[in-house]
Amino acid sequence: MKRNRQDTLILGFTLQEALCLSFCATFIIIAKAVLRLHLHVTGHSMVLTMFFLLLARGCVPRKGAAIFTGLVAGILCVILGMGAKSGPLAVFKFLLPGLCVDIVAWFYPRLSTNYAGCIITGAFAAGLRVVVLTLVELMVGMDYMVILQHMAVGTVMNMVFGGLGGSMVPSVVRRLDAAGLIRHIDADG
Amino acid sequence: MLWMCGMCTAACMVKSVHGLLLLLVVHVAGYFLARLGVSELWRDIRFFLIQMVIVTGLYMLRDGIPDGIWPGIRTSLQVLLFFLPGALFLRTTPSSRIMSSLRRFMPRRLAFFVFISFRFLPYFAGEFHDISMIQQLRGVRLTPRYWIDPRNWRDIFHCMVIPLMVRAIKTADQAAMSAVARGFGKRYGKDTDSGEAE
Repeated sequence: MKRNRQDTLILGFTLQEALCLSFCATFIIIAKAVLRLHLHVTGHSMVLTMFFLLLARGCVPRKGAAIFTGLVAGILCVILGMGAKSGPLAVFKFLLPGLCVDIVAWFYPRLSTNYAGCIITGAFAAGLRVVVLTLVELMVGMDYMVILQHMAVGTVMNMVFGGLGGSMVPSVVRRLDAAGLIRHIDADG
Repeated sequence: MLWMCGMCTAACMVKSVHGLLLLLVVHVAGYFLARLGVSELWRDIRFFLIQMVIVTGLYMLRDGIPDGIWPGIRTSLQVLLFFLPGALFLRTTPSSRIMSSLRRFMPRRLAFFVFISFRFLPYFAGEFHDISMIQQLRGVRLTPRYWIDPRNWRDIFHCMVIPLMVRAIKTADQAAMSAVARGFGKRYGKDTDSGEAE
């Protein structure tokens, strides 16, 4: 599908694509709000976060789609006060996984329809979220051993849930593709 | 907006019963001070009241009635108090003012999409609820007991997420067409890709 110059709006997305990505960010926030159930299971919210980040990249197969979704979700999260533990750094909790998804999709464009790719990317991207938490813990002066233990537990749990979220993406993307709802991009996109 | 952010943060951080009740009173008073009636308040909280019953029930199932009732009520009250400032904010603040305040600290095009995302939160929450009802009427088992087994998660995802994504893609199409028809991306009669006229 060829695009006119007038179609390009932000970061190379058309208005329709940018809106679709914004809606994916909305779903991440709704999912995060719904999963605020204090289940005492570290990283359980990463299931839907990674699911929608990978789905955003699948629905809009353009460079930067997951980063855009992560950025909008992160800003919304900060505005709504959902990142109480990490404050403004909560933006990076979504931006880093989004960046990871986009980098992998850059090297492997068929990522969103591949089960193994989605599981591995979902797990790895979810693991990156711990970087932000570790940064906050370092800033508050927590003991290094405690930080390491927390980091290990957090990474493993985030990776498990992120991988689980990623595993559900390919079937959804394939069905959306079969319904003709995903616009495939030319080599120039 | 700062008041809303503060109240959302307070809803996340306050754990005591007195603090949560105080926040609830402040929110209800806010509705009446903004000259909004009981009907608007009911329309904003009715979905959360159903959620409150479900969440409290789940906590009581997990921890037993005496140990689970208060954490359940507290959590669902926190969720309600987390959303109420946003609902009040949206009811009392014109869209143009929200946009102008977002533009002060971020690029305007990014602010536009953050605002769109924020504006559609209640819409998609409602859509999610409607799709869930429709799927249950069609015989899909969406009860908590069915949720517990991870083998059912894929089916639940399919019957909930695919209609939701289809709706999101269609809504994005319609909203894009509506925005273009209203002159989004055009300035002084010339087409630009800057989105200045939004």
